[in-house]
Amino acid sequence: MSERACFARRIDAIADIFAFTASAFARLGAPDALRTEVDFVLEELFTNIVKYGRGEAPVTIDIVPISDGVEVTVTEADADRFDVTRAPAVDVTLPAERRQPGGLGLHLVGRLADSVQYGYSEGERCSRIVFRKTSAAPAPGRDNGDGRC
Amino acid sequence: MLTIEGGGERPVVLSGRLDATQAAAVQAYLDRLDGVVTLDCGELQYLSSAGLGVLLKTHKRLLGAGGRLRLTAVNRHLRDIFSYSGFDQILEIEPDGR
Repeated sequence: MSERACFARRIDAIADIFAFTASAFARLGAPDALRTEVDFVLEELFTNIVKYGRGEAPVTIDIVPISDGVEVTVTEADADRFDVTRAPAVDVTLPAERRQPGGLGLHLVGRLADSVQYGYSEGERCSRIVFRKTSAAPAPGRDNGDGRC
Repeated sequence: MLTIEGGGERPVVLSGRLDATQAAAVQAYLDRLDGVVTLDCGELQYLSSAGLGVLLKTHKRLLGAGGRLRLTAVNRHLRDIFSYSGFDQILEIEPDGR
């Protein structure tokens, strides 16, 4: 059992993504308490693709239920390699005067998801990000595993 | 969906979801305010990094003119985001009493 939808690479598709997660969670019987964090991770990954991706193919999102949560896969066709689990570290201890807007999205993805895996297929030029969110213990951070296409 | 109202002598009330599609409108609204600006987040259900950018830019502008940004009625989701981003150390945050 799984739910799948494709989204155009436009920022305003975020509303459609949120509508998709709401309906998918309901149909899959996934814990609704997790949906805010799943939406957050999806928004950050999707906006990253919209801002920096050079392809035009729609972005596919799959949600499957797992024990106490969901596994979500974000697939970007026509993609350049960019491993989101290896984004530059962010110093969250800086005072306001030394902070600059931006750069926090992928840091927060690593904090909110239970695990994040990145995979890239050179031949297909396909990027795949797989993350899990469960109602188990608070998110431990990133898992730099292989989310092969 | 997001609504924003208030300001001046009253708190600014944010209701709904502050995501990347709403950030520019909220930034434009907050850019008109000065002094100590209180954001009532009691009905703010969701905040992404785009929203954090709006809050940081606003706070830095206000600090430069002797003011600041303070947040009230902050729910668990927002508290987590502020904690993980270190914003709980740079903004005055009052949790949701509910």
